[in-house]
Amino acid sequence: MTKTKFFSVMAVLLISVISYTATAQKLTSTKTHFKFFSSTSAEDIEANNYKAVGTIETSTGEIVFSVPMQSFEFEKSLMQEHFNSKKFLDTKSNPKAKLVGKITDLSQVDFATDGSYNVEVQGELTINGVTKPITEKATIKVSGGKVDLESVFNITLVDYEIAFEKGKPSTNIAKVIEITAKANY
Amino acid sequence: MTTKKKIFKIILLLIGMVIIVGGGVGYYMFNKPARDVQNTKTDFSYKASEIVNEYLTDARMANDKYLDEEGNSKVLEISGTVAKISEDFNNQIVILLKSVDDKAGVSCTFTSETNSHTLNLKIGDMVVIKGVIRSGASYDEDLEMYENVIIEKSDIILNKQ
Repeated sequence: MTKTKFFSVMAVLLISVISYTATAQKLTSTKTHFKFFSSTSAEDIEANNYKAVGTIETSTGEIVFSVPMQSFEFEKSLMQEHFNSKKFLDTKSNPKAKLVGKITDLSQVDFATDGSYNVEVQGELTINGVTKPITEKATIKVSGGKVDLESVFNITLVDYEIAFEKGKPSTNIAKVIEITAKANY
Repeated sequence: MTTKKKIFKIILLLIGMVIIVGGGVGYYMFNKPARDVQNTKTDFSYKASEIVNEYLTDARMANDKYLDEEGNSKVLEISGTVAKISEDFNNQIVILLKSVDDKAGVSCTFTSETNSHTLNLKIGDMVVIKGVIRSGASYDEDLEMYENVIIEKSDIILNKQ
């Protein structure tokens, strides 16, 4: 009696483990591009980063990105030094920015069928050691079994305690920065 | 009167020179070219496993040792086995140095100038790569994986195939 009970419990466990591994699929991306773009009447500033790592869990819609901040490259090296410095992003203390989010409408996406799917990602973004909730739009493209993600969204610098009170940065850097994210899973 | 005028003239000349030199230095600083990593002296030489393990043991201490506040971080020479060869969205070659027993490796991104030096590389080759460190290795709970040490502006120093 107890033996059969034991076996049935084991069977249920085994089946659930098997079905979990069958549906849970985490895709990894090391081919990524993150771009910062700032536009003011004084000048346009751009920085590019190709070293972020990301994952997407197709069964739950969980999206994660880890972005090494010192990999942002600027045209002018003085800007790059400012960007990294304690006054701005303090990349020595906070070497990585992070996004942990979830696709809110995962039913819209069919990872098995080629197509372009517009989704909403809700989660938390950590920059400069400051974590804020975000909700942004993204596009997921599935083609021939390959998954791509693209998103363009804005962040307000002061939300992440990046503030410029005076001098050139306060006039030449926009208060709201456009971020373009691209990942090839 | 004439001496006063003379002194005034000299002062004016001095101020003018200070403005010109200061402006020149300022202009140079503003347009300072990007750091030439390959022509910068190497700070440390390691096996890939050594720097990975140093980071996995104490990331905070390692960051303190290798990362620079203004992003001009330490220049490293890393020796290791080529585990993966890929290309990023900027058409730069990325070589992963990692030994099979290690949890993480060293991901080295080349440049448009140095890409061609990787052409003959194959998986399993032993190489020494020089570049600037951008971030260390760590286990990320959200990614549920180990992240590699990141080296950029890379070039091959020695090919021991």
